[in-house]
Amino acid sequence: MSKADKLHGALELLVLKILRRGPNHGFALAAFIEQNSDDILQVEAGSLYPALHRMTEEGLLKAEWQRTEAGRRARVYSLTTKGKKKLAAEESKWHAVASAVVKVLQTAE
Amino acid sequence: MGWWSRLRRTFDRGEHRAEIDEELQFHLDMEMASGRAPREAHLRLGNSTRIAEETRAMGTIQWMLSALQDARFGLRQIRRTPMLVLAVVLSLAIGIGANSAVFSLVDAALLRPLPVEDPSALRIVEWTNTEFPKGLTNINGSFGPYAGGRVKGSSVGPSLYRTMAREQSSVAAWIGAANTGSAAISLDGAPPDQLAPLYVSGNFFDGLGIRPALGRPFLASEDRVGSEPVVIVSHRYWKGRLGGREDVLGKVVRINNVPARIVGVAPQDFFGLQPGIWIDVYAPLAARVAFSSAPGSTKPRGEIDSDWWVRQIVRLKPGVAEDTARAEVAALFRHVVDAQSAVESGSPVPELIFLPGARGLESLSSRDASALRIMLLLVGMLLLLVCANVANLLLSRSVGRMHESSVRLALGASAGRVFRQHLIESAVLAIPGGAVGLGLGIALAQTIHYLFQAGRDASNAFALSLDLRTLVFTAALCAIATFLFGLAPALRAARSGTRDALQAQSRSIAAGRLRLPRLLVAFQLALCLTALVAGGLLIRSLDNLQNSDIGFDRENLAYITVNPSQAGYTAERTALYTEQALRALSQVPGVTRASTVQIRPLSGNANAAGIKIGGRETTLASGLFDPKALSLVNAAGPGYFETMGIPLLAGRSFGERDFLPRSGKLIVDERFARHFFPNENAVGQRFHLGGPDEPDSEIVGVVANSAYNSLRDEAFPTLFSPYRPDDVVNFVIRTTGDPAQLAEAVGRALAGVDATLPVVQFHTQTALINRLLRTEWMLSFLAGAFGIIAVLLAAIGLAGLLAYAISRRTREIGVRMALGASAQNTVRMVLADSLKLAAVGVLLGLPCAFAVGALLKSFLYNLEPLDPATATLALAGVVAIAIAAACGPAVRAANINPNNALREE
Repeated sequence: MSKADKLHGALELLVLKILRRGPNHGFALAAFIEQNSDDILQVEAGSLYPALHRMTEEGLLKAEWQRTEAGRRARVYSLTTKGKKKLAAEESKWHAVASAVVKVLQTAE
Repeated sequence: MGWWSRLRRTFDRGEHRAEIDEELQFHLDMEMASGRAPREAHLRLGNSTRIAEETRAMGTIQWMLSALQDARFGLRQIRRTPMLVLAVVLSLAIGIGANSAVFSLVDAALLRPLPVEDPSALRIVEWTNTEFPKGLTNINGSFGPYAGGRVKGSSVGPSLYRTMAREQSSVAAWIGAANTGSAAISLDGAPPDQLAPLYVSGNFFDGLGIRPALGRPFLASEDRVGSEPVVIVSHRYWKGRLGGREDVLGKVVRINNVPARIVGVAPQDFFGLQPGIWIDVYAPLAARVAFSSAPGSTKPRGEIDSDWWVRQIVRLKPGVAEDTARAEVAALFRHVVDAQSAVESGSPVPELIFLPGARGLESLSSRDASALRIMLLLVGMLLLLVCANVANLLLSRSVGRMHESSVRLALGASAGRVFRQHLIESAVLAIPGGAVGLGLGIALAQTIHYLFQAGRDASNAFALSLDLRTLVFTAALCAIATFLFGLAPALRAARSGTRDALQAQSRSIAAGRLRLPRLLVAFQLALCLTALVAGGLLIRSLDNLQNSDIGFDRENLAYITVNPSQAGYTAERTALYTEQALRALSQVPGVTRASTVQIRPLSGNANAAGIKIGGRETTLASGLFDPKALSLVNAAGPGYFETMGIPLLAGRSFGERDFLPRSGKLIVDERFARHFFPNENAVGQRFHLGGPDEPDSEIVGVVANSAYNSLRDEAFPTLFSPYRPDDVVNFVIRTTGDPAQLAEAVGRALAGVDATLPVVQFHTQTALINRLLRTEWMLSFLAGAFGIIAVLLAAIGLAGLLAYAISRRTREIGVRMALGASAQNTVRMVLADSLKLAAVGVLLGLPCAFAVGALLKSFLYNLEPLDPATATLALAGVVAIAIAAACGPAVRAANINPNNALREE
């Protein structure tokens, strides 16, 4: 089973949503997801970096090498216009699917 | 990310990878910075190499990346089996080389546009009419039937051309050009070359959009009768005869003894307007008058308006519809013809038409063109044969590599991936094969070109250059060949079952029945049979042609051509010269008889006339001769039939008085007598021949049939008139030995008569015949070479297959021998196997051989496409291959030691 599956296909959506707040590097994205999901969602590097590079290829993200506050070179990702559009579409789709799933679960009880 | 950066990353493995490593290292460092122990941080990150690979794949063109991996793998395979690879590459080189050679000829002769600016805008202007326009004396180029019962002519008169070129405004350029035969061209007093100048209008170079490599194009003022004669020479003439010097401009050459100044050198690859006829000297249309003396008529040729000798090419104006332009110029032409009374009043006025002009004026005969197409077919078959051979070689390797393919499949590679990997390996072999083939092709093309030129003069040359089209063709062949020979091995590999191959006994299981390799070998034998039939038919036909009965002894016979008109001789002076020259020739030791003839038999030329016999109606439809009323015409000098050895059957030979002008005496051949006077004595018959003011002609003698313009049976009735040479004189001599030895003595004898008249041509009759059979020679040579290669390839393929089959049946044969089979039995078994394959090949090949024979039909003489002797020989050839190929493997099988065989594995 591929590791991306643990996030039920939501990794891309989460990355887009977090980058909406501002540019950031891969480690920060992973840490943000883990902390804010109370460590329920685990992001593995083996899923994250291929996804980041693929999204960059698709034109959703833009990657740049920047200096961190500590003076290290880090690859920082930011949203492109295309990425913002994609986020809006994916987010509403996610909510629709999630509420539908919840509805089915409740009805079946 | 753009395609470019992805492409770059696909090939460049270093830089991109370093960036990813740095990014992952940063991640790891941050993990540790947030308080995790190094070990835990590493565990959390996972396998960084794999992450890096997967991440990197996102930024590349994946299929290309894996194709590159396959190609690298293929190259490693080459190193492992160098002999096999050498065999494959050489076979492919032969197959591809033969194809690109023939293609480059077909390209130069039939496909390639003229080397001028925007050739697609050029149109050839010709005309159609309901009949031969009355009042014309000659049409240069062609005149013949056209669609809708009309006739088509290719040229117009000089004033018509000039008026049209001046008055039309519908096309961008109206160019005139004409090749009217050879002229004597000499440099610095050296003996002259016989070259055909192309007479061109003043706007020729500008209109075609080409600039002379040196000097300038013609000026409009130079295309006027009476202006100083000037010429432009070809680049190859400049490089060859003029030493490529820069100071040739202003140099004077003599054309038919008339001085002409060189004003330019044509561009390097420019050969004129007809592919296959390389023009070395260009002169203005008006210069034809200056270069032609007028022995017979008052007006020099060139400005006689009833002589339609100028061919026309136009360049369409951009933005003007072709139909509109044509309608406009056709209307103008009708008007100009009317105003100039260019055709007799009452005769219908020709209608101008446009024909495609991008490839220039046609020059290759339809016979040569179809010979080229047949060659393309033959070499195409050769490539198929090569592909079958290579496929088998690779199949035997892929069986050896079945284990490897199975392991790949077992480890999760998709069948598609394994299939593609094998196909790419095939491409890795095809590319060097194609590259070597291209080199071979260039050499082969030169050889075929040389055969094409054999016996002709230097003007018969094609622009054979390695151009983009030939390269693209060769590359496409490589791709097609890859699929043809790579498909079977690749499919086999992709299908190799995991279970079979991973078992230790895979060898004996895979030894199965070799169905595909057998089919491929049978296919090779079928193609081989076809090649043998094609080669056999062509060679036997050539042999028939060379030994056909021509009605006279072809050995010890030679012709000498002199052109007194090029030196400005009058008809009287020419007659006197001819008489003295005949006397001098008959005194040359070794010459037994000498005479003259207007057209040398079997030189490829002939005159014809329509015969109207009083009281019997023969129609001259639209000015074209009714074939039933057609006779070939030649003119014979005193003692011609005796010199040739053509027997007189009835009546008498020409006497001295018959050679006086307007004597009206004729000699006809037997065919003529039988055809036109079937139930009468031909001698003494009278009928009208020639112009209205000529007297009636009387037949004084009948001679036996002899070949004139063809070695085939399609000969027409022929009549001979008394020969009174006026411009060119052809002497014919009968000799006691090889006449080629006498060339020098003959030249001296003629120089003794008149040193200013050089020998223009000296040809033996056998040389003329070989020249006539040039196309047949070329085809036979190629078909023969193809047959030899086909036999070799098929024999190698068959022997390889048999040897392979034996090696895999070693155990079985060992068991048979242990059970009492003799060595003889074993040999018989291998031989039977081989013959069985040959039988399948013959069954497959017979329909192909028949089809190829039918295609060759028009080239065959006295031979049916299903010629039994040829078919038997070809069959015997295939059987011989089967036996020869079986020898080695049979001996090896017979020598198998049962003990060793059973102990193996």
